[in-house]
This record gives sequence, structure tokens and C-alpha cells, in this order.
Amino acid sequence: MNKPNTYVGINNDLNGGMTTIGKIIRDAWVFELIPETETCEGWNLAGVDALLQRLNSEWDKYGCLVSHLPEPLRERHDRIHGAAMIRARESGWCGEHETEDEK
Amino acid sequence: MADNNKYNAGVKEYRETYWMPEYTPKDTDILAVFKITPQDGVPREEVAAAVAAESSTGTWTTVWTDLLTDLDYYKGRAYAIEDVPGDDTCFFAFIAYPIDLFEEGSMVNVLTSLVGNVFGFKALRALRLEDIRFPIAYVMTCNGPPQGIQVERDIMNKYGRPLLGCTIKPKLGLSAKNYGRACYEGLRGGLDFTKDDENVNSQPFMRWRHRFDFVMEAIHKAEAETGERKGHYLNVTAPTSDEMMRRAEYAKEIGAPIIMHDYLTGGLSANTQLAQWCQNNGMLLHIHRAMHAVLDRNPHHGIHFRVLAKVLRLSGGDHLHSGTVVGKLEGDRDATLGWIDIMRDSYIKEDRSRGIFFDQDWGAMPGVLPVASGGIHVWHMPALVNIFGDDSVLQFGGGTLGHPWGNAAGAAANRVAVEACVEARNTGRELEVEGKDILTAAAKHSPELKMAMETWKEIKFEFDTVDKLDVAHK
Repeated sequence: MNKPNTYVGINNDLNGGMTTIGKIIRDAWVFELIPETETCEGWNLAGVDALLQRLNSEWDKYGCLVSHLPEPLRERHDRIHGAAMIRARESGWCGEHETEDEK
Repeated sequence: MADNNKYNAGVKEYRETYWMPEYTPKDTDILAVFKITPQDGVPREEVAAAVAAESSTGTWTTVWTDLLTDLDYYKGRAYAIEDVPGDDTCFFAFIAYPIDLFEEGSMVNVLTSLVGNVFGFKALRALRLEDIRFPIAYVMTCNGPPQGIQVERDIMNKYGRPLLGCTIKPKLGLSAKNYGRACYEGLRGGLDFTKDDENVNSQPFMRWRHRFDFVMEAIHKAEAETGERKGHYLNVTAPTSDEMMRRAEYAKEIGAPIIMHDYLTGGLSANTQLAQWCQNNGMLLHIHRAMHAVLDRNPHHGIHFRVLAKVLRLSGGDHLHSGTVVGKLEGDRDATLGWIDIMRDSYIKEDRSRGIFFDQDWGAMPGVLPVASGGIHVWHMPALVNIFGDDSVLQFGGGTLGHPWGNAAGAAANRVAVEACVEARNTGRELEVEGKDILTAAAKHSPELKMAMETWKEIKFEFDTVDKLDVAHK
């Protein structure tokens, strides 16, 4: 199977975007590091990694926890992640996917 | 043997020397119970005696003369046989070995005899070592867990609740730096420990020293921000014991409180060496049991996990993966509770309902913390706290990292859940009855827990238990 050299974009990702990179992109939308129209399609790993480093700096301000976010950010987080949850479930994702490879 | 042409033990039948139903085991004997599936037509007493011989002095007598060694002193003695409930194909044989047959403090030597060449013996179709009783005289010759449960609590400054952990999976693109970041997020969110995957050693994608450095940076950052002690099980398992020790020394040098070893694949000599070093250097030792299923999964052949647990306690380790009782990898509840007792308690009574064949006196040897991991999440927390109690490590892998809001959110959800369950238990509430109410009330103050409960609410586990007690077979 040919491996893509670039990211497929959150809209084309596995599990309706409920993936490690999908979480990075959604959080980047929350902190407005990239616009919500940016799916990161065509980005290479270095681009995603650079985004992750910027994102980590944002999360560090709030102890990495949603419950520590100020109200405007909290509302953005709820909206963006709430919609993502619905989309992921519609694509067939459920929590069991996250534990099924454990031994 | 007169009617059997398939098997001939030799000029002298084993039972004439090694079957001793009149023998009363001594307090100093090492006792073993094997589940034996004999070849057709071989009498039980003969095959039990053969196992006693071939796991003790059976081969010596063909090489040395009785003038050089005192066979009657050193031989194993098959002293009882019993039916296996519900299974006519096999039976239990009880064998006593004199303590002087084994080198002091050597699990290697004990296993080389008891589960050595005898397992390939022709008179057997299958053989399983079900349990061992180590006499206190032998226990006293072993090093045991480097620190033990109470000292670990003092080192980590954590009391009155189960400890929380999470395995960081080496997902694609997870560099050592990003790996360290995942550890930080888990620890910052509320975990006590994160953990290397057992098969992460020092591969080209993430060499050990690089990983150790970034993980320690994560620990220091999380400790500074939370005011709690944190740890990560740095896996020092290596191709050679020299290299293993080099990694352990470096972990100590950079301030890690705990390291990790795969005790079965790494080997018991290496494990005992590492455990003794940990004891001398104030380090905690987490033990993974990779390869155990090769040995313990077949109900007729191999070594039962309760034996592997006893061997680990004697060889040395502060944590040992024990199975979960609940969750996707659910094991038989009574059997699991039996080997959890074996890990933690100082004296365990024979209890066939839990698969325990012998009284086991550990004396003052410290206990090992059982680690529950594999397919568990917040909804299992009430049952886990109830079953495992405070002296345990509850390790949520996917149940932490799989949180839709990320690693810190998953960790926070589990931390809030465990503290809510402990508080409820301490006020007399029934966790497994009121678990949903307890978690729902806690989630009102924790959006991370609320989301975790929504994420995993639909999961049902319907796999059958593989490791059933014999009383439950058929």
C-alpha cells in the first residue's frame, strides 16, 4: 500500500477525524492558530509538527485542561469539539476504537 | 506397565523410587502441584513419580552413582494425586522437593528443575505447573521487591488511593520530544505515572537516552506545576544485562524514581540483578509480563500465572501486571483475586476457590503492587477500586489517550473518577451498585470526566474468559 507523503486533511481522515492529528487541528482552530477553514490537506509532517509545538505553547498557559480555559475559549472548544464528536460518531467511530488494540 | 507397549520407563519403574504416598512434606520442602495429562495407558502413580524424578534427580542417577549423591535426600517425592474437577483427561500431582536441591535465592535454578526437561518427557501428553509453595526458609534467601508498597508510597508521597498510570503508545511520528510531551500531558492532567510500552527499548525510531531525557523533562515540568511527585516507567530492558544496567544507571543519574523491565523476555537472572540494584539505589521497579500468555494460557500445558507471580515476587519487582477482572481483557475474577493476594499479602491460606493450592508465608518480604491494565476506562473505575483496593496501579491506556479532548483531559477524567470513588467508598457507599451516580455527580464539576463518560458509555464487553479455574470447566 502506498503511503501518502502529505496529510489527507481532517475532512478525509480516518474515524471522522478522531485521530491524533485531527485533535491537533481542532485545538489549533480553538486557539485560532489556523482558520477553521484550514483542513491541513497537503501538509507534510514537519508542518503538522510545527503546528503542534505552537499549540503546546497555548495549552501550557492553561495547564493543558479544558476546565482551565477562559470562557470565550471554552465556548469555542465546546462548539468545535462537539461538532467533531457528532461527525466522528456518524462515521462509525466510538470509544471502543481507542482501547481495542490494548493487550 | 505390563499392558502398555507405547511407553517403557526403563528397567526400574519410577514409582518404586519417587512415589511416596506415605511422605509428610517438611516445612522446609518446596512443594509443587502439576496438572498432568499422561499418555494413554500410563498409570497415574507412575507418571507422577516420573515427573518427580525428571524434575529433580532422575537424570543424575543415570550419570552419577548413589555413592556420590544421596538420592534419598535430594530426590523429589510425589506424595499425592487428585482428580481435576470436571476434566478426566488429567490429574493433579503433588511433589515435594528438599530445599537443598536448589541454590539459595535463585529462581533460575528452581525453574530449570521444575519446568525444565521434564516438560518434554515422553510419558506426558501435557504438563502444567499450577502452583508452588516456597518455604519461608527459601523465601528468606531471596531479595524480593526492591522497595515494597509502603516505601513506594513514601517515595511518591501518595496515600489512600490506587495509583494511576497510562502507557504512552509509540504512534507513528511520535518523536522522543513528542513522546515526552505526551507524558507531560498525562502527568499534568493527574496521572501518577506514565509508562513505556513494553516493546519500546531502544529502536532506531527512538533511542533510549533521547527518550529518557525528554521524559525526565516532562516529569520535572509536571511536578513543578502540580506540586506532586510524578514518575515514568523507563524501560531499561536491553539485549544484554550490561546494557540494561547502563540504562538503569543513567535513569538514576537524571533523577527518575522508577524504571521498568520485561522480566520474562529479559530473563530472570537479569531481573534479579536489576531488582537488587534498585534496592541498593532507592529505585522503584515496574515489571511487565510480556510473553506470559505463551506460558500460562493453555489450561493443560505450561506454567500458571500464579506461579509466575510468585517467581517475580521472589526475583524482585515493585509492580506486576495482573489482569483487570473487568474490561476487555477480563480474567476469571476469583483466580485473579487469588494471584493478587499472592502479590500483596504476607500470608496466603490455601483456597481452592481462588486456585491457591498451598499456604504461602512470605514473612517480612514486601508486597508487589498489582497493575490492572488493558481495555479499561472511567466506567470501570468503581469496580476497579472495589476489587483492587488502594494498593494497586490502575493503568488506563486507550482510556486516557483516547479521550476526544486529548491526553491531559483523559488523565483528568480518570483522576477525578478515582478520587470520587475512593471518597464514596470511604463514606460507606457501595461502589459497584452506585457507581453511575457517583461518577455522574463528580462529572458535574469536571467537563473532562463528563466527556469521558459520554465517549465510553456504549461499550459492552462480551468476550469469554480464557483462564477459568478448573472447578469452572465443563
